[in-house]
Amino acid sequence: MNIFLLRRLAIVTTIGLLAMPLTACVTDVGGGYGYGGNVAVGVDYYEPVGGVYGAWGPGYQVGPYRGGGHPWGGGGGRAHSYRPAAAGRSMPSIPSHSRGSR
Amino acid sequence: MQPQYSLNLNDSISQNIARQRRLGLRRTGNVLRQSVFAALLGLACTAPAFSAQASFPPLVAPASQEHHVGKIIFVELLTPDLAAAKQFYGSLFGWTFNDMHVGPMEYTEASLNGQVVAGLIHKSVASNEHKQPAWLSFIAVRDVDAAKKAAVEHGAKVLLEPHNVPDRGREAVFADPQGAVFAVLASSSGDPADVLAAPGEWIWSSLITLDPDTDAAFYQTLFDYEVFELPAGPNSQHLMLASDNYARASANSLPADKAITPPHWLNYVRVDDTAKMAAKVVALGGKVLVEPRIDRHGGKVAVVADTSGAPFGLIEWPETESKEVSK
Repeated sequence: MNIFLLRRLAIVTTIGLLAMPLTACVTDVGGGYGYGGNVAVGVDYYEPVGGVYGAWGPGYQVGPYRGGGHPWGGGGGRAHSYRPAAAGRSMPSIPSHSRGSR
Repeated sequence: MQPQYSLNLNDSISQNIARQRRLGLRRTGNVLRQSVFAALLGLACTAPAFSAQASFPPLVAPASQEHHVGKIIFVELLTPDLAAAKQFYGSLFGWTFNDMHVGPMEYTEASLNGQVVAGLIHKSVASNEHKQPAWLSFIAVRDVDAAKKAAVEHGAKVLLEPHNVPDRGREAVFADPQGAVFAVLASSSGDPADVLAAPGEWIWSSLITLDPDTDAAFYQTLFDYEVFELPAGPNSQHLMLASDNYARASANSLPADKAITPPHWLNYVRVDDTAKMAAKVVALGGKVLVEPRIDRHGGKVAVVADTSGAPFGLIEWPETESKEVSK
């Protein structure tokens, strides 16, 4: 075989094989999130939040509603970006039955 | 003289041809060696990408036919110190770990009493990178690609394109329009059943964001949530996102005086005694970010961070209703 042809074949093979992982891996698309060069499945780090976390005032509540069954009054007549649950719907809570009781 | 000259000339030509042949063979050998090297280099580079397609454990075993769109069905932690994370969460909640190599990744599956509770992945972080490990919430969908289309149409960024994870399902990772990162997962083994989490298991999630109202609309588009508004303090909102007649998560305003905290999802583990567990977090090398406090449901809530700084919540959910309900 012509040695120049072999050399070209070697170059093409090298470029082709080196390009394969680049197409197989997902790259960072902004927001400080994405995969590193050698990880194709997984998650990455957030930007730091720990240093400024907190400042939840006395009225700041995050937990689920407890008790259920209380009728929901609707969206209060205010305009919302979301579609409020229908008036009269019971306020839901989290599941109350344990794994063994199903 | 003439024959001698001719003989010398013939010898010289023969030697030259032989040298050219040797040179040609050497060049051919070099090219072949280069080709083999290139092929090996290429294979070495592609191997991690292909081996990363190795399977994760299924979410539900044995597989079920249950699907709960909008439910947070899994959480994953990426940590720079997997051994420290295992030590921390194992000591805190009694989680046990099943180590596995998924492609080039060090992955460990955390379980509690035989129930899978989380996945933990090791990834180094460079000393000059100011990044924070975090728990990633996976929300159940039936169709990841349709979720991507809806998310993008409503202002989300795709951080990880939809892709199949063998034995796990199909997943993608997005940043919502306000920047909170979440994943969607169409589990191929079905979704975990709707049952009350045991102590040590994830029980609740909050989206803490700049504008809960518009973010609730975004997530409602994706997961068809029912949205309820609960009383909240001035200049803040507390929304409840529900599906299948169960509350799935809250959407809360970021505290105004700490608006530099980026919008994020926060997941909570059920505990029997929040104050006691918060103290244990500190003893194990973690931090308390929000001190234990009574929440709406009557139990105490706290926000803590593990040894690598990943924040998560602790929440009491007493079996019986408490009289100490904060209004």
